[in-house]
Amino acid sequence: MIIDSFKHNMAAHCESGTLTALLKHKGLEITEPMIFGLGSGLYFGYLSRTPNLSFPMFILRTKPGKLRKKIARRTDIRFNTQRFKSEEKAEQELDRLIGEGIPVACQVDFYYMDYIPQWERVHANIHFITVVGKEGDEYLVSDSYFPKLARIHKDNMRKARFAGGYLAPKGFRYYIESVPESISYKKLIPKSIKNTINNMIGVQPPFIGVRGMRTFSKKILGWPKITRDIDHLSHEIMKINVFLEDQGTGGGGFRYLYATFLRQCSEILTDKDLGEMAKKMMEIGDGWRNISYFAAKIGKNRDLGQDKLKELSKMISERADAEEAFYKELKTVINNI
Amino acid sequence: MKEKDAYVDFEPQQLIMYVEKDDGTYGPIQTGSYISKNYLDDFWEKTMRLRKSLLEKLKKNEITPVYFYKLIHDFNDVELSRRTGISVRKVKKHQKTDGFQRARLSDLKKYAYAFDIPVSNLLQALVVEDNEDKPESEKNEQSVIVKQTRTENPFVVITKIELNKK
Repeated sequence: MIIDSFKHNMAAHCESGTLTALLKHKGLEITEPMIFGLGSGLYFGYLSRTPNLSFPMFILRTKPGKLRKKIARRTDIRFNTQRFKSEEKAEQELDRLIGEGIPVACQVDFYYMDYIPQWERVHANIHFITVVGKEGDEYLVSDSYFPKLARIHKDNMRKARFAGGYLAPKGFRYYIESVPESISYKKLIPKSIKNTINNMIGVQPPFIGVRGMRTFSKKILGWPKITRDIDHLSHEIMKINVFLEDQGTGGGGFRYLYATFLRQCSEILTDKDLGEMAKKMMEIGDGWRNISYFAAKIGKNRDLGQDKLKELSKMISERADAEEAFYKELKTVINNI
Repeated sequence: MKEKDAYVDFEPQQLIMYVEKDDGTYGPIQTGSYISKNYLDDFWEKTMRLRKSLLEKLKKNEITPVYFYKLIHDFNDVELSRRTGISVRKVKKHQKTDGFQRARLSDLKKYAYAFDIPVSNLLQALVVEDNEDKPESEKNEQSVIVKQTRTENPFVVITKIELNKK
């Protein structure tokens, strides 16, 4: 069976995309940038000591699952969530819900999504898909990163839902029980923006927010010492582009998505200043995009001497300066609303 | 980012970008992946080089199959331990040539599951050799030949599949 009423759409990011699609299916008209912004999804972190990582990495959005939790806390949207110990029970429950015509979001290891091109698939227990049907041994899934509904064998689905490791999904699934008739944007927008400002320039550890960007800009100079060889260094440098553009960010490391959120906020609140901040955030995104192009180019050319790494480091440091100034200004704008 | 600058023609990997559209509004467009369109060949070259160099080390008994696949899947010891349920201490041990021979069959089963391969592939390397470009005189009569050869590694054989298309 397939839940015909569910409309598949691609989205910039899997978590906000899945959430937006489920809310729309439930009758709430809302955009992906609005979900991302209201859930204070924008973030920055330079992770070098997380025990599961084989190499330092940077993150550009909040921890997986936090977006939905914040949306749940801030609105009257009611979620039904569940984790499982038993793989059989998880599968039975999923089948039951689909049978009742309820689209279900599942947390999975991205590696097992075999409809995605091979070069994209990495082990990451932080991917979200929506299961919208089952035919024989195959599930029909709506994946924000795939242009049409995809099929996945139940064995692969089971592996994906019960992969071990960091942030193991443990069969996690959720669906939306109810949505409010409307959302009080006027109250929520300032609150969610203030939360983001705090994440970026509030009192945070040195690897979070703009301080994290500065840590990143310094630490990248030492990457040649912690890589196996030039190919490995090239691979890690080129992953900067992947993290900023390809891994579900909407471009410019989520900054374009957030700019769109700010633009929508300015229209809802009829606040011109927020519109100006949206423009500035777009420009900040362009700066991140330049970094991603530069990283891809020097990585491909193996032009990875200290001079180029210093140039890259300087570009990241400039983003930190630009973002610090931006959030300070945004704080003033929000406080005046 | 302006809409006109965002389009990348790469059908195999599509994604959503948020852009400033021609009419001044901000919104999503569907486009192709810039890095995959321009740099995918480099990615495959690096991947192949890594696999080849690891395979050579594996054949010479300098590394173990656990280490080989750990690197291929980009796991570290902690992550591999969490994914297999085998202690970090044992995971470290199984990556050393003298420690691997003490691994239990049940451990290999857990590793194989985490690496998404059959257990047998931990003990053999599959190599496909396409002889299409070889001179006719060097091609075999049979179109497909499967050969298994020992390596210096007592636990690993090479299973070579030769393709002799005429």
